[in-house]
Amino acid sequence: MKYSLTAMIAVFAAMSTASVANAADGWGIENEQIVEIEATVVDIACSLTKDCPPNCGDGKRQLGLLTADGKLRVATKGASIFAGAARELIPYCGKIVFADGLLIENPAMTIFMVQNLRISKSEKLQPATAFDTEWAKANGKADEWYRSDPAVKQVIEADGVFGIKGLAPKP
Amino acid sequence: MAKFAKLGLLTSVLLGSAMPTVAAERIQVTGEIVDTWCSITGIMFAYGTAHHQCAVWCAAGGIPVSIKSADGTFYMVLKIEDDATSVANPTILKVQTHNVTVDGELHKRDGVNYLFVSKVADDKGIVNMTHDDYGVVPFGN
Repeated sequence: MKYSLTAMIAVFAAMSTASVANAADGWGIENEQIVEIEATVVDIACSLTKDCPPNCGDGKRQLGLLTADGKLRVATKGASIFAGAARELIPYCGKIVFADGLLIENPAMTIFMVQNLRISKSEKLQPATAFDTEWAKANGKADEWYRSDPAVKQVIEADGVFGIKGLAPKP
Repeated sequence: MAKFAKLGLLTSVLLGSAMPTVAAERIQVTGEIVDTWCSITGIMFAYGTAHHQCAVWCAAGGIPVSIKSADGTFYMVLKIEDDATSVANPTILKVQTHNVTVDGELHKRDGVNYLFVSKVADDKGIVNMTHDDYGVVPFGN
């Protein structure tokens, strides 16, 4: 499989502009479907094991979307660059939402990317970018949160971008 | 009628009855800890040293991590030992890209293998050296 620079730039451009979409943007990912699903926000670990802390784990656990026909979709990605969907969905723990995004039924794993949310069909879709707002509130403004995040910096400064101390990119 | 259906679903979810408990299986898995989004979507090369930095970014951003075993099976990690935190877990950030052997409980549901790790039996660190072929993915050096 080849990963061209142009294709990657296009993907990241889509990632940064997805927030203004009125409906989900396709990414051209194999097995993706653009869908808006009506589902209840659930704590996945709770649904599988009955270990159920209050409020779906307060954003510390992966969340899922449980549809009326009993399908559990793991909300793997939000609309913020390099960020998941837990912060987007945690305000709606136990509630029904309309999640607009990409259902990717890869034979290896079925995942869901939440791009926009609303709590009723009559409302306008809102971009699933709460991560950016909350990160900035906690850490201050940064052009690229992922390079400024304290936890990331600690790991990368300790072991380098390749994860092995002393191994660095060629100049 | 639709309102009653919604109410019924919500009520049963809150009571924990709408989600059938799937029988769990005890397993041992060996493989690389990977970022689930990049590896499943194939939007970029997502393995080994080349992708390590991105894997750390994604884990810090709360994207779930998975273990990819040698046979290509993916297991999404929802718990590591006593820590049930699976969003931006600092422990997970430190073992991104490592080759590990773990014991755990496997729950399969709707196309996902969910893994609750009870014990990290072995951690060989990062062994998948891909940077010579791919550089730093994404964005380069």
